[in-house]
Amino acid sequence: MPRLPPIYTEFFFHPLTEDVEELLARFQQADSVRYEVFSAIWRTMGLSDVYLGCAGVGEKKRFSRVTLATAVKYFLSPYSYQIRVGGLYLMYGFYHTQPAVPPGKIRLALQDWDQVQKFLKDTVEAGHHDVLYVYKKLVAIKAIHYTAMPHLLSFIKQRKPKKEPVCEEFLGRATAVQELVSSDFLEEMINVQAQYEKLKEGTVEVSSQVTMTQQDFASRLKDTMSEFLTWQQKMFSQNGKDKNSGDEEEEEEEKPDEESSNRARLLCSIKNKSYSGVQEVTKGRRHRQTQVVDSSRSGAEHSQETGAGHKKRPPSLRARTRQNLRVEPEKNKLNAWLLTAPERPTGDR
Amino acid sequence: MAASGGSTTSNTNIPEYEYSDVNTKPFHIGGFRSEWLSRLTPEDYSYQPEEEDTFDANFAKEHGVSAETMAELKSVCSIDSLRCHPEDEQPDPEVVPPNPTLQTLIERKKKQDYKASRKITKNRHDLYANELERLTYGMKPEAVDDILPEGEVILTVNVYYPASYDKFNYVRPHMTLLMTGSHSLAEFRDAICCVSDLQVCGEFSNTPNIAPDFISKDHYKSAFFYFEGVFYNDMRYPECQDISMTTIEWAKSHNFPSYSQAKMEDTRFMDLNVKVGFPYLYCHQGDCEHLVIITDVRLTHKNDCLDKELYPLLTHKHRVATQKCSVCHIFIGRWFTTNDEFAPSHPCLFCDKCFRTLHYNEDGYKLGDFLAYPYVDRGAFN
Repeated sequence: MPRLPPIYTEFFFHPLTEDVEELLARFQQADSVRYEVFSAIWRTMGLSDVYLGCAGVGEKKRFSRVTLATAVKYFLSPYSYQIRVGGLYLMYGFYHTQPAVPPGKIRLALQDWDQVQKFLKDTVEAGHHDVLYVYKKLVAIKAIHYTAMPHLLSFIKQRKPKKEPVCEEFLGRATAVQELVSSDFLEEMINVQAQYEKLKEGTVEVSSQVTMTQQDFASRLKDTMSEFLTWQQKMFSQNGKDKNSGDEEEEEEEKPDEESSNRARLLCSIKNKSYSGVQEVTKGRRHRQTQVVDSSRSGAEHSQETGAGHKKRPPSLRARTRQNLRVEPEKNKLNAWLLTAPERPTGDR
Repeated sequence: MAASGGSTTSNTNIPEYEYSDVNTKPFHIGGFRSEWLSRLTPEDYSYQPEEEDTFDANFAKEHGVSAETMAELKSVCSIDSLRCHPEDEQPDPEVVPPNPTLQTLIERKKKQDYKASRKITKNRHDLYANELERLTYGMKPEAVDDILPEGEVILTVNVYYPASYDKFNYVRPHMTLLMTGSHSLAEFRDAICCVSDLQVCGEFSNTPNIAPDFISKDHYKSAFFYFEGVFYNDMRYPECQDISMTTIEWAKSHNFPSYSQAKMEDTRFMDLNVKVGFPYLYCHQGDCEHLVIITDVRLTHKNDCLDKELYPLLTHKHRVATQKCSVCHIFIGRWFTTNDEFAPSHPCLFCDKCFRTLHYNEDGYKLGDFLAYPYVDRGAFN
């Protein structure tokens, strides 16, 4: 089997993803969707430097493709709203700082269009004007290619398809249940059920013989939903607490770890405040809506540990044997390759 | 991966992966185009970028944003916000800065240091690999009629070397062509240049001066494409035969699903039902087979070459090292001799001058005994 030359993207995709995830993690911690916050983090990290050292036109073009594809990845599902906003800002940033001429374009596939539209709808409802401005600006300067698929495909089948670990903290939590609870759906259902009961009473023949609904359906549904929500919260803040006590290998963590569980509560309260409270209130922003989109709240409540989860390898056979037999390594001073024990000069045996 | 809005019937015109990251399911190109056009406004895919002032005005109106907020938005989201170094201290873009902190830069520095430690002579071919694309970027035609219409579909097609060459197992794409949706397959065929088309058959040792009247391309005109179970034959010329019949009949006798046929010149790319990223076949000269992969389908953009006349557009051609004459090592070999008593090896390659000086005297008479064939080197048209 001839050895295939490595695909270019394999070299730089991973380190770029690390840098991008760090930026997004900081952005998530800053807990805002404002462009100013993002650009401050961008400038601090100096992310436009990723393009330095690209020698040659071809390399510039290829790397621009890699950066833009990475940014688009974070712009789409299944990430939480805040991360998606970060992805959009990243697209904007990478597009404008790229050295390739003609500039590489952002590839938007047809299958992702609906997600993009939904994202925009949520943004309009929440009134995040800077998000909208950035998106509309990208469209206006014709930075987008409307394509069939997000990447160029040339039938390259990988022997071991690489599954990149999706950073869990960035994922948006399932919000369907919350939306159900918060809507008037339950009330409506109770009303309908009451109506049904009334009508049933009215028809004498049927009233006690047939029942199509369960009496306590509505309350049971509510209980189940709240159970799910508490489980969700517990599960993902548990995750955070575990990572707290675990290895601290993540270089991207800036804040001390014991704050994590407190942060969850703090963030919740910050989210509930208006966005204008977080930064300097300017005249122009006061009128902006402070309605928070559901998914961003749930996304931030959970673990604050940033960085990808530490992959633990299963313990080797040797380690397991020693553990089971409770062998203590230090006692056995005999070297295995010596057939006899060494002579002791003091002769204490 | 989101399906089309959660509808129960999957829309076959929206491409989705058949095998993740490898190829898509088949979809109709024309249908794909209309799906996109139905979702976009004409301004989205027009060639004119929106003016800043009109953009600001429209944005403000659409979202009820006051002029102050607008100005604030503009200043906050301007490109200057992305500038990481002060204006006068821009770092050198060709070199990785010392002590990098970003992972990407660390990785790149390693590569740069490694590359610097090796001695690589610059290959002329590598330098010019990207020239083709640069030449055609943003070219606008003079006549307005020749402008590629907005909303047209552009396909990027890779044509590969025939599988019979071991040498090309690593480097497969021979050429990359950009086609528009309204081009027919026949035009695509004409744009593919394979060296086997240029071969001349016949032994010419006795008559070296007769310029070969024909090349294989003119002699064997039949060709076909195979896309998704349909053979598209070239029937433009009376000499063309339907060379796909053999395959179709064989398939029928062996219980394969039946294939159908169509004419190459009548089918446009827009009418095709294809998979992106999946290999298909182009066969000509009876046995010279090339893989054809459509790598990308997208709408036109203002930065593309907008001159319709220049399409099908060659954006990348793999450059082959040519074999030189065994005598002078300067010119590319054009004659190929066998059974030659003058030649150091069997078979042997000569350029035109060396061939004539060695094998023929001043009057043009053949000296000695040999067989000579005209040879077209694969890289002769680099």
